[in-house]
Amino acid sequence: MKATLAPSSLISLPRHKVSSLRSPSLLIQSQRPSSALMTTMKTASRGSVAVTAAATSSVEALREGIAEFYNETSGLWEEIWGDHMHHGFYDPDSSVQLSDSGHREAQIRMIEESLRFAGVTEEEKKIKRVVDVGCGIGGSSRYIASKFGAECVGITLSPVQAKRANDLAAAQSLSHKVSFQVADALEQPFEDGMFDLVWSMESGEHMPDKAKFVKELVRVAAPGGRIIIVTWCHRNLSQGEEALQPWEQNLLDRICKTFYLPAWCSTSDYVNLLQSLSLQDIKCADWSENVAPFWPAVIRTALTWKGLVSLLRSGMKSIKGALTMPLMIEGYKKGD
Amino acid sequence: MRLITHNMLSCNIKGVTNGFPLKIEAEKVIEKEVDFNPDFLRHMFAKIEWKALAEAARSMGYAELPDDSPDAAVIESADETFLRKLHHALLELHLEEGALVCPETGRKFPVNKGIPNMLLHEDEV
Repeated sequence: MKATLAPSSLISLPRHKVSSLRSPSLLIQSQRPSSALMTTMKTASRGSVAVTAAATSSVEALREGIAEFYNETSGLWEEIWGDHMHHGFYDPDSSVQLSDSGHREAQIRMIEESLRFAGVTEEEKKIKRVVDVGCGIGGSSRYIASKFGAECVGITLSPVQAKRANDLAAAQSLSHKVSFQVADALEQPFEDGMFDLVWSMESGEHMPDKAKFVKELVRVAAPGGRIIIVTWCHRNLSQGEEALQPWEQNLLDRICKTFYLPAWCSTSDYVNLLQSLSLQDIKCADWSENVAPFWPAVIRTALTWKGLVSLLRSGMKSIKGALTMPLMIEGYKKGD
Repeated sequence: MRLITHNMLSCNIKGVTNGFPLKIEAEKVIEKEVDFNPDFLRHMFAKIEWKALAEAARSMGYAELPDDSPDAAVIESADETFLRKLHHALLELHLEEGALVCPETGRKFPVNKGIPNMLLHEDEV
């Protein structure tokens, strides 16, 4: 039985074969062709790309909801989990009884595994400029800037996150390399082709218009540059399926409402979008098994005395978020 | 916001073709010392839009940079006088309060507590 949810998956697609993918979610890396020719964009009108917002005002409402959610909850998350707001990467057979520091290491490992999957290594002095799309409080940016000695700019909808990210950069003497601003991933305030590495670590879930999101990622990527996306997707639909099963949709809806996630799409949808924008070397993978230990760990930390007290102090959005976490586990489990 | 960041930001309002560089309206500028790293500066030099930087520095009250981009020789030379000026302009001047202005439409993007807000309104998208 297929898993419904699979954040940050990694599926290695054999090169010239269209496989029916087992589980969703993906880490995608793709490379913009080095030739200067920018081909005209073909319309990506296939399959079930995520529903675009029905009215502009609901997009604004979503944007505000996301900003407020992170304004309110980032402090709490950071207190308990540190500055990386994404899943950890674990060996599939690892015990979930890791220490807190084990989980933080897993979050760092997630970054390293993503870079490795994309073939971006420490020797690549070509990485001079990086954009972190949906940067949170800047964990990835600071890590990558340190690793490559590159200049990194992060964007987030949350002014609280941007401020915190800048403060942390200053505290780590990285101010000259990383900076953060409030901006919309769907309207990135950068000229075309600016970045050698375009990084989106678990932020794609918040984008109401996946096609626009991907187009912007491609637009700001330099020729020959790389795009790395780690995101949550639902499973690929089988042939003849037009949508997820009602119970799956129901589960997803409940998760989405709490975390301000607009409609989900599948790995294939992303791949199709990237292909339609003439990117090369598109790779994807399913990392569901590697991230599954994460949510039980998060819940356990929430249930500690410190966790509970902090939750009560930080407001309704955090509490609702915490209550929704078991649904995440349910999503993973409904698979093999 | 430091000028190294400003050098990358542009206005992306729908239909705007000339959204870079953003003009600076400086209300509050502060200086924060940053460790001098000549290698980093040499590394970055090729990517800097010089005229934009020089003009921006002037708007922030620092007029020591030449209008035209210096030769690579000046950057590579052992004499670090010039690099120190670049260092100061690029990394040590902070726009705390003010606005970034689109050169084509005049639209102002506010900068508060050092953070530019580049979000567009519904009708600009």
